[in-house]
Parts: sequence; structure tokens; C-alpha cells
Amino acid sequence: MTPRELIATEIRSRWSEFPLTVEWPAPDRLRIDVGEGSTAVDIAEWLVDERGFVFAGMAVREHRRYWRIHYLFYDHGIPGLWIQVSSDTSREQPLIPSLASRVHAADWHEREAEDHFGILFEGHPRLGDFVLHDEEWPEGISPMRKSFDASERILSRGTRPDWSPRRILQEPGAFAMTVGPIYGGLSEPVHFLLETTGENVVRAFPRLFFKYRAIEKRAEGLDVNGALLLAERFSATTAFASSFAFCQAVETMADIEAPPRARTLRVLLAELERLRRHVGSIRGICGSTALAVAESRAGYLEEELLRLSGEIGGHRYLFGLNVPGGLAADLADGACRLLAERLAEIEHALASLRRMLGTTSSFLDRLEEVGVVTSEEAGYHGLVGPVARASNIVCDLRAAHPYSGYERFAVAVPHEEEGDGYARLRVLFDEALESARIIRSAARDLPSGAVRTPIERAPRNAWAFGAVEAPGGASIHWLWLDEEGRVERYRIVPPSFVNWHGFHLAAEGFAFQDFPIILSTFALSVAESDR
Amino acid sequence: MAGWFLKGVALGVKTTKYPRRAEQAPGVSPGLPRPTRFLDAAQAQEVASRCPTGALSASGSEVAVDARKCIHCYRCLRSDGAAMSWSDDYDWADVPESATGQGRPLGFEPRFRRSVNILVVDAGDCGACLNEIAQLAAPQYNLHRLGFFLTPTPRHADLLMVVGPVTDAMRYPLLAAYEAMPEPKRVMAVGTCALGGSVFGPSFIAGGGVAELLPVDVEVPGNPPPPLAILHALRVVSGQIRGARR
Amino acid sequence: MSLADGLLVLFFAFLGVAIIVTLVSSGRSGPLLMALFGAASGALLVAAGAVILAGGRPVDLSLWSIPGLGALHLALDPLSALFLIVAGLVFLPVSIFSAGYARRYEGRYSLKAMAVNSYALFASIALLLSTDSLLLFLLAWEGVALFSYLLVNFEHDHAPTRSAAYLFLVMAEAGTAAVVVAFMLLANGAHSFDFAEIRAAASSAGPGIRWAVFLLSFFGFGVKAGIVPVNAWLPRAHPAAPANVSAIMSGTVLNMGLYGILRTNGDLLPLTQVAPGVIVLLVGALSAIVGILYATTANDLKTMLAHSSIENIGIVVAGFGGAFVFAASGRGDLAAILVTAALYHMTNHSLYKSLLFMGAGSVDEAVGTRDLDRLGGLARWMPLTSIFFLAGALSIAAIPPFNGFVSEWLTFQGILRSAELASRAVQVAFVLAGACLALTAALAITCFVKAFAMGFLGVARSPEVRRARERPLITVFSLGIPAALCLLLGILPTYVIPALDRAARPVVVETSSAVELVPPFFAPPPYSGELPEGFVRDFHDIGAQVGQGLLPGRGLVVLHRGGPDRHVVFAMAPSYMILLLVLLGGGTYVVVRVASRSRSLRRARQWDGGLHRLPHELTYTATGFSNPVRVIFRGIFRPRTIEDLHETMSEHFRGPIRRQYEEVHVVTRLFVKPLTRSARWLSDNLARMHSGKINTYVGYVLITLAVFVVLAWFT
Ligand code: SF4
Repeated sequence: MTPRELIATEIRSRWSEFPLTVEWPAPDRLRIDVGEGSTAVDIAEWLVDERGFVFAGMAVREHRRYWRIHYLFYDHGIPGLWIQVSSDTSREQPLIPSLASRVHAADWHEREAEDHFGILFEGHPRLGDFVLHDEEWPEGISPMRKSFDASERILSRGTRPDWSPRRILQEPGAFAMTVGPIYGGLSEPVHFLLETTGENVVRAFPRLFFKYRAIEKRAEGLDVNGALLLAERFSATTAFASSFAFCQAVETMADIEAPPRARTLRVLLAELERLRRHVGSIRGICGSTALAVAESRAGYLEEELLRLSGEIGGHRYLFGLNVPGGLAADLADGACRLLAERLAEIEHALASLRRMLGTTSSFLDRLEEVGVVTSEEAGYHGLVGPVARASNIVCDLRAAHPYSGYERFAVAVPHEEEGDGYARLRVLFDEALESARIIRSAARDLPSGAVRTPIERAPRNAWAFGAVEAPGGASIHWLWLDEEGRVERYRIVPPSFVNWHGFHLAAEGFAFQDFPIILSTFALSVAESDR
Repeated sequence: MAGWFLKGVALGVKTTKYPRRAEQAPGVSPGLPRPTRFLDAAQAQEVASRCPTGALSASGSEVAVDARKCIHCYRCLRSDGAAMSWSDDYDWADVPESATGQGRPLGFEPRFRRSVNILVVDAGDCGACLNEIAQLAAPQYNLHRLGFFLTPTPRHADLLMVVGPVTDAMRYPLLAAYEAMPEPKRVMAVGTCALGGSVFGPSFIAGGGVAELLPVDVEVPGNPPPPLAILHALRVVSGQIRGARR
Repeated sequence: MSLADGLLVLFFAFLGVAIIVTLVSSGRSGPLLMALFGAASGALLVAAGAVILAGGRPVDLSLWSIPGLGALHLALDPLSALFLIVAGLVFLPVSIFSAGYARRYEGRYSLKAMAVNSYALFASIALLLSTDSLLLFLLAWEGVALFSYLLVNFEHDHAPTRSAAYLFLVMAEAGTAAVVVAFMLLANGAHSFDFAEIRAAASSAGPGIRWAVFLLSFFGFGVKAGIVPVNAWLPRAHPAAPANVSAIMSGTVLNMGLYGILRTNGDLLPLTQVAPGVIVLLVGALSAIVGILYATTANDLKTMLAHSSIENIGIVVAGFGGAFVFAASGRGDLAAILVTAALYHMTNHSLYKSLLFMGAGSVDEAVGTRDLDRLGGLARWMPLTSIFFLAGALSIAAIPPFNGFVSEWLTFQGILRSAELASRAVQVAFVLAGACLALTAALAITCFVKAFAMGFLGVARSPEVRRARERPLITVFSLGIPAALCLLLGILPTYVIPALDRAARPVVVETSSAVELVPPFFAPPPYSGELPEGFVRDFHDIGAQVGQGLLPGRGLVVLHRGGPDRHVVFAMAPSYMILLLVLLGGGTYVVVRVASRSRSLRRARQWDGGLHRLPHELTYTATGFSNPVRVIFRGIFRPRTIEDLHETMSEHFRGPIRRQYEEVHVVTRLFVKPLTRSARWLSDNLARMHSGKINTYVGYVLITLAVFVVLAWFT
């Protein structure tokens, strides 16, 4: 028996008195349906605590008589395994068993579901005021319910004048420093409440969802091509990764595979995006430490990469390339060769930037031992991507769950132990350089042929999820289609949503003036997390 | 520290010649479809119907383009069959009809033109517009050389640059920022979302553009508008040149 | 009988009448009478002192003589006159303030007691200052202590008030004990209680006696002045006492300590060695820095002011110390300047501190709390009080054109001249003291920015603030008097310094010609001959340029001492400075309002990042504002965590974080605690000697006898 099958057997025997349905839709995907009750939560806790699985996300689906909740897990093993545990709760029952009280990573997922659907989780120390801010939204609005008409504007909500922030620091003279939602020049809107008595941040509390555009709700009722536009555009700085995951889900449902050339080109483009995004994050870090020369050097490289993307793919953020079944347009071989050539220069410049930053003590002083996230903390918050890898959590979907032919490129997973700002910067540099390597190797032996497999039978009444390693970490896109092939439910778990949850770990205990620096080293996107 | 200086010198001047000369480098713009004449009306209809945002409209065998709605999905270009012709320019910014003819001067008075401070408010964009504005500070564009400066506070701002469709949660902050700006002030809507909501709005939670809330002086189409398009728009709003008048 | 004599006698008689009238009057008219009598007697004192300082004949008045006790003799020299004026300047507005303020106690406490006690305190102070006999001095000294105690203990049914007042009494009595011994030593040397005879005998005192008198008097008077390390009573008494009492205590009673130090060590038995002066200097500087550190971190407005009194008295004492050192090193010229500076600072402190205490009292009355963390935004509700408090805060933070700047500037100038001293060690001491004072000045700004900004600006941090109303006009008026004086003393030091110089004469051994403060371009020779030539030329040039008729006569402080070969010249021009400030301010206004085309004023909400509302929980607190100071000087504050609780609601979810710290004052920690501990240790061990057996005691007696025999043998 393979280790994968062992897990299935063990779950079956441990919960033998419960009616479990265990399926293998794919060799690396295990689906467990537990029916009603809290068995799902028990299994989830066991998977995370005993078997080292990572909680990847949660999707709630509304049925007429019950709520169906899917929990998704994956492990770091190579080759890895996806496990989806689903359970139902009758709608008559007011409370759904909470996973967050046992697996902390599920915290924000449940809070989000609470605001989305108006459902309560038993045992979750609810905080409210999450997606729908308390100061504007009255109680009792659940936008994700089917009965809610998303096209109607509700403008007369008014503002609650008596709103005041929830604070947990009770010390004489303590107050909450407010930052945002509009702050600091070019920043996405977030409202930070930094609780303090005047020197160090004792508690950092980011209030997100100022950019909530209800992508998941808007996708409902659209056809696949319409939803693709949303998938691509809800967070443009990682547009390719998102559309990639979306297309994966559709391809899984349609049971097709992109042609080899498209698969390799997707790898190439995804890495180009990662490289650009990481260089942008490095620019942000240099900027936050007010190291203007380094900032403009990184900015120069970022713009060069944007132009390169525009040159080979038409769009600077690679819009309009991914389509279910492959790519909308082929990239000329010449363009790919040119890309490889230019990348050599950029790689060189990046390596030199890294070297110089590593010897600039005024810069290192601001990053080293600042914003520390321990491996343990990162683990129980289920952090992903470079942030997790800087805290010594070696996990990368490209390596553990290779998709689209990543296995051919032997992706190295850079990681560091310290978990401080400098470790995160080093990981960003290492990954950027690794991406450049992958691009060059992909461009070198590009298979020939078509770039798009036509979809014979449009999928209907089906569902699947796609998962890619976006620049910020694992990005999961669930898609349910109805009988007409329209989107019935679209659920996105982007990496920034997960990492924002753990951001406070880094900010707490450090001085105010370190706060923007710590924030920049997390390379978070608000557009991505707010959706 | 000396190392930084030497490296910087070694890089040489990378700044674009724009606005003195058009920037020719590849990849500076995603381009826009150009009004195109097709063989017959059916073909024109077919091409126009591909557009998911209604940016194309066919009349006879001609297809007209509403640049304010295009989101660069390339479906009118890359699908099988006839394609729109494409241009890679970027001087797209224009003054909306609502702002002309109200007796309100378009650009700033001459004495404000040489130093315009910009407050950027992200009202729900996808991150691309914001990133393209950030690129303006990169050496290739070097915004400051033209007298434009980004500021973090509305108290110093002359120009409010809004990106995104204006989500509900950002309505109040956006209005507050506008209120807090001293006169004279101008508003620039940057990107398709800020012009009409694009794929995000209007919906129950996101608006259909900045104009619903504030008087917009200059509109910049594009999803996202590339840095040069924003630079062009800045020159329009500061009164240096006139808009594209598409 | 001279004019001053008459005024002084009138004053005492008037107070006697006041006490009687108050005792027999109905309770209703009490506050009004208090204002009337207090203000009038204050004015009498000011008048009496002013007559003397303006050059009138010193008071020398034998009233009557009682057989066996000697004559009751009143004497006022210029030094006493200055202290008398300061006392009067404090009593006058505070009495008016009390009339309004005391109403809050109506029906609960006896207003009569308050009135009578303050008259009695007033009389004691006047007596203390106008006597030239050690005995009468001690009698008055005790009166001051007793009536201060009674006033502090006004709200006697509060346990904390009682214990604070008790602490004050105990410490004051310990000080008195030391003073008594010092005076006995003095009287023993001169075989008389009379100041004049003690002065005459001073030169014959041996070094042992000199040291003993210095140490005892410095300690004894220091307690009353509130210098480190005998300051423990001060920060506890003030928050407990009514605001008007605090104002009187800070404005007058502390000065009595200073008077004692100066009278004893500068006049009766002038210090001849450098070392005591250095001690005074360093203790003063230490008081200043310790005082301001605790003031900066205090959140109770009155506690803050109390700590700040320690700081200001520290600065004055440091000035005295510097003067003693200069005098002992033969630099009478510099000593005179420092004494002048110190007396100037003392005057200023009395004015602004009484003003600030009255302000704190007004706030307390209007809002019901003095906790800066709960105040905020009061400028909107109490505009006039805010303006006067601001004047006090600017003065105490030494911001021109207010008076604190002038006196601190003079003190610094004087201390900087220590470079001219011969001894390296003394120079080092001066550098240390100077550094402490500089840091103190910087922290004082932080402290009073905090006091004003957290109390009067920003948003209201509690609902009570929004209910606050401006105090009655009479109360506000009483705040205006010291505020105006603070401004006057800041812009017209040229008129104040000659008077202070006269006041300093009794304690200054000056050999050279007197100070002259008229700018040289108004007063051509004979003075210019004593000033450096370049200096004179420069100022002639300036004077010629500015135009003689335009500027006020004494616009420039030129402190000048020493002969033609030893110039000591400090120059500053606060009067011109305020002229410049007014011109600049007016000019800016004109430019903004007239030259710029937009004349309309647009009021906009504060920019908070786009929040719907800025709740006060999201703005800086007073604690937060001063926390950096607390963090930087962690070693001094040593906060002890008494509670640090992190509640987790379930695994990894965070609930409330509760934290609380406790701070023990550094002086208590390093000085009082060890002292009490060793005293206890000693008594414990001594107790062991008491075995209770008779033969042990006989043994003790024998041993003692043997020791004395041996001692006698050797001597
Ligand atoms: S690129 Fe897309 S959005 Fe733009 S006109 Fe063509 S089809 Fe329409």
C-alpha cells in the first residue's frame, strides 16, 4: 500500500462507526464525505495535528436544506496528496461546528463565511466586523446567500456614528494608533489598529476588506469565459497565477489537458510573473527602508520585466493569455529566445543588487531580527509562500504537487530559518533567481505544436479546484458549474488572505518605525485578499 | 555607500525621452483596438459581439471602439476569425464631457502647473493601476522631472488620482480625502474600473466609477493604463496639452 | 517710621483684623471676605517690599520689648523684601481664585478654617522674612510648617490626604530639628540670636562649625524647599491638597526653604570653601533632572506640577550653588550674576507655578479629573483658562518671550562661566551640572507640551470633558494676573534685573562697581569705559541703525560686572525680541490674509486617513506621549510589572492583555528604602541587647564607664 492509501485506510478505521464515503477522483486527490456531525472537524484536526497536513482552505455551499462545507488539506510530501473533507449541516441547526477553535488556520475562513452567509460556528470566538465593516453594515445582511440580489445597490446604509474599535490591550494609557485606510502614498487601503502604550506595537490588527468587490458573488451566474475575466482581474499583480488556477479547475472538469507547448509556456509565463512580482516586492522593501538608490534600481528592473511581459505576451500583466485548454495566443520562438537573453542581464543585475544590499549595514539593521515569525507560529497560522519559507516551512506546490509539467524543472525551494525580515528578503531574491533559471530552461526546450486544446464538451453540473503556487504562495480556486455550465459558486483562497492572517505575528513587539518595513517584507496584496 | 553611487552611474540614463519624443520601446503599452472596417456587416457584428464589456459597437461593416470600456482581453484580436486592428499608442487620456462646458477651467492655472502634488487613492483596484502609477517613479519615467510629486496626505495634494471602481467601504474615505484637499483641486480617474466599474461594478458593493461621487476632470482609459498613458493624462490635467478627443 | 515700616505694620494689623472678622462672620460671606482680605494683604506686602527694593530705607523697627524675651524687632533688608514681594504676588491672585474655588467645599469642610489658616500662614511667612533674630525666625518657621500642614490636611477625612499631610509634617519637623541645631551652633559662636552679631562673628568660625552649619541648614531648609533626596512629601502633598493650597505652597512655602539656605549660607555664615558650593550645585542639578523626569511621566496634572516644582527649585538651588562656588573662589562678580539669575528663576517659578496650579484646579473643578489620559480638547470648552494655562506652560518650558527663558538663560550663562575657574574638579562638577540642566530644559519642554497638548488640545478623552464649562470670570481673572506678570517678566527683564541685583546685595560679596543695564548707546560714557571697546562699538552701530527714538529704553539686558580689565558681559534683548515676534507675526498675517487672494477661511475635519469618525481611543494618550522618556530612562524609573496577563479565549485566539506596572520613586528606592532598612536593622540588633537580666545591664554600665575612663585618659 502506498502512503497515500495508508491515510485513507487509517481514516476509515479510525472513524469506522461513521458513514464515510472515500473516493479517489485522481491519484493525488482524496475525497472524504462525512455527512452530518462534527466528524469532519475531528478528521481535520487529526490531519493537521497528527499527519502534518496544511489547512488550505474552506468553501461553504448553500443548499436548500443544508450547508455543505468543504475543507481542503495538502501535505508537503513529495509527491503530495490533496484531501478534501466535506460535511453537511442541516439549515435548521443554528450552529456549525467550528474548526478554527482547533485548527487556527481556519480562523479567518470561518469569520469570512460568517459574514458571507450569516452562519455561526460553534466555538469560534467571533469577532464580527470582518468583511462587512460594522461601522457601515447593519446586522443581518448575508451577501453570499442565493437569495441576496447582488446587482442591487444598497446605498442607504448610513454610518454608525458610535463605532469604536475593539481593543484588547488593557494597560493604563494604552491606545490604538490608527493607520489608514488611506495612508502612505501608494498603498492599498487597509486600516491598521496598532495597540500600544507609546513605543512598541503590542497588538497589530489589520482591518481588511475595504476593497471587497464580492468577486465570488459576481462570478455566480456567469459563463466560464466571463468568470475567467474576474479570475484574471481581481488581483492583477498575480493575474496569470489566478487565471492559471481557474483554467486548471475548468480543465479538470472538462477532463482535458493543455497541449505540451502551452503547458511549458504557462510555466514560463507564471515564472515571469513571479519574477516580476518578487522584484516589485524587493522594490517595496528597499523603499520602506528609504534606501532610494536600491529602490530605483529594483524599480528599474521591475519596469524592464513589465515591458518584457508586454513585449512577448501583449499585456504588461499578462492579461488575456490563459484560457481553459491552454493559451489564447502562441508566443513566437524568437520572443522566447529574446526573453531568455534579456533575463540573463536582469538576473545579473538582481544578483548584484542582492550582494550590495547584503553589505549595506544601514539597510540590514532595519531588517535583521525585525518582524520575526517563528516556524511554529507560521505553522499553526498555515502561512504560505515566501513568508512561510523564510520561517523554515519548506513547502511549494510546484515541488510537492507539480502541475502543468513543473516536475520537469526540478524546482528548488529556497528557505531560511530566522523568520525575520531579512530572511524574507533573501527568500524573495533566491526565488526570483530560481524563476529566472526556470524561464531560461523552459525557453530553451520549448515543445512545438498547438497551444490550445479545444473543449469538446463544455462541463456542466461539475466541480473541481485548481491550485497553483502563486508568487505569494498557494492559491486555490474552487469552481462549481450548474446544469447550464454557468458558475454556481466560485471560491478563491488566495495566498495574501492566508498571510494577512499571520501578519500580526511579525508586527507585534516591534517599534512603530519598523512597522512599514515589516509590512513590506510580507509582500501582501490587498486586492488579492479582499477579492 | 559609494558602491551604490558608482553602480547608479554605471547604469547610465534610462529615462524616457517622452514627452519630447514618443517612447518607442516595446512593451510600454498593452495597446487598444482601433476602429476597423470589415468585409461585411456580419463579420463586424461577430467581432463586436466578442467583446465582453461592450467596448465595440458595429454599425454596418465598421466597428467603433469605446476606449473607456476596453479591458485588454484581446478577444477581438486573438480569437479565430477576423480581428480588430490594434495600435500600441498610449496617449489616451481625455476630458470627460461632464467636465467640459461647465465653465470650469480644465487644467490648473499656469502658476500651479510646475509643481503638482498627487494623492493616489486606491478605491478597490486590482493592483495593476496602482502598480503602474508606482512605475512612474522608476528611472524609466522619473515623474519628478516633470514637476509631479506623489504625496501621502490630501492636505498637500492638488490632484486626486483615483483607481478602482470605488467600493462601498472606500466611498467615505475617498470623499473625506477630497474634502480635505485645498483648492484648487482636480480629480483624475485612472483605469477602466475608475471610469465605469469595469468587471467589478456597479454591484451591491462596488460603484460604477469615480464620476458617481466626484467631479472627474480627466479620464485615463486602460486596464491598467500604462505609465506613459498616466503621464499623458497628467500633462492634460495640468493644462500642458489637450486631451486625446477620441 | 518709614513708609515700608508703616506698610508692614499695617499688614500685620490687617491680618489680625481679618482673622477676627472671619471668625465672627457668617459662613455665606466667607469666600468673598477671603478674596478681599487676601488680595489686600498681598497688595500691602508687595507695596512694602517694592518700597524697599525701589531704594527705600530698609525696615528696622522695634515694636515693643517684653522683659526676659527681649525686643520684638522687625527688619527688612532688600533680600527679604524680594521674598516678601514674591509671596505677596502669589497671595494676591490665589486669594481671589480661592474665593471661587473654595465654594466646592462649602458645607463639607470649614471654609473658615481654610481662611484663618491661610491668613496665619501668610503672617508666619511675613514674620519669617521680616525678623532678624534666630529665635523669632524659628518661631515663624514652625508657624509656616504648622499652618501648611493644616492647609494640606484640609480634606482631613480622606485617608490619603491625612497620610500625605502627616508625611509633610514629619519631614518638616525633621528639617526643623536640623535647622535648630544649626542655629544653636551659630548662636553659640556669636553668643547672640541677633543676625547682625552673628554676621560679625562669622569670620571667627572654624571649619568644623562651618561644615556642620552648612550641612545641617542645607538639609533642614532643603526639606522645605523640596530638593532631592528629601523631596518625598512634595509629590504626595500637592495632589492631596486643594488647588489653591498647592498654589500657595509651591509659590511661597518652598521659597522659605530657599530663603533659609541663602540667608544662612550666603549672609549669616558665608561659605568660604568651594566644596559646599559644589555640593549645593550638584544637588540642585540632580533635583532638577529627577524632578523633570518624574514630571514628564506623570499623568495627574497636579502630581506633574509637584514634580516640576522639584525641578525648578533644583535649578534655583543649582544657581545658588554656582554662586557659592564663585564667591568662595573670589569671583564675586560671577556669583552676583548667578544669585540674580537664581532669584529671578525663583520669582518666575512662584508666578507660573501658582498659575499652573490654579489652572489645574480650574480643570479639576470643571471636569472632575486631573488625569491627562482622560482630558483632552479643553481649549474648546475653556478657552480663557486654556490661554492662561498655555502662558504658564510656555513660561515654565522656558520659551521666549516668557519669563522662564530669561532666568534659565541667565543661569546657563552663569554656569558656563565656570570655565574661568582654576580647579579642574570644580569645572567637571559644573559641566555635569550644566549637562543635567540642559537635559532638564529639554525635558521640561516635552513635559509641558504634554500637559498642554494632552489636556487642552486634541479630542476629548472622556465624556466629562464635553460637559466642562469655562470658570466664572473672577476665577479666570485670577489666572490672568500671574499670566500677565509672566509675560512682563519675560519681556522686561531690563527693569527687573536692577531690582533683583539690589535684592542680592546682602548675600553677594561684590567688590567691583554695580551692575548697569542700560544699553551703551543710550548711555554713552561714563559706563562705556568699563565695557570692552568692540562691544560698545557694535552696539552703538546697532543703536544708530535701529534708531534711538523707536526702541524702548531698556531693551537690552547687558549684565556687566568687573572693571575695565575683567569684563563680564552677557547680552540679550528679550524686549526687542518680542517686538520682532509681533512684527513677524503681524507680517505673516498680512501676507496670508491680504496678499493672498483667498481671504476665506475653510474649516475642514482633521485628516485621519479617511475614518468615519476618530474616536478618542485612536489618538495619542498622555502615557503614550511620554513613554519614550520612560523607555530611554528605564534605568531610573525601573517599572516593576505587577500584572501581565494574556488571556487566550481558545488556542491561539487572543483575549484581553492586561498589564500594570508599579514604580517606586528613584529617591525612595535608592535613598529612603535603604535608610529605613538600616534603621530597622539597627533597632532590631539593639533590641537584642535587652536580655532582661539585671547583671547584663550592670555589665553595660561597667563597660561604658571603662570606655569613658580610657577616653578621658587620652584627652
Ligand atoms: S480587447 Fe477585449 S475589451 Fe477591449 S475591445 Fe477587444 S474585446 Fe473588448
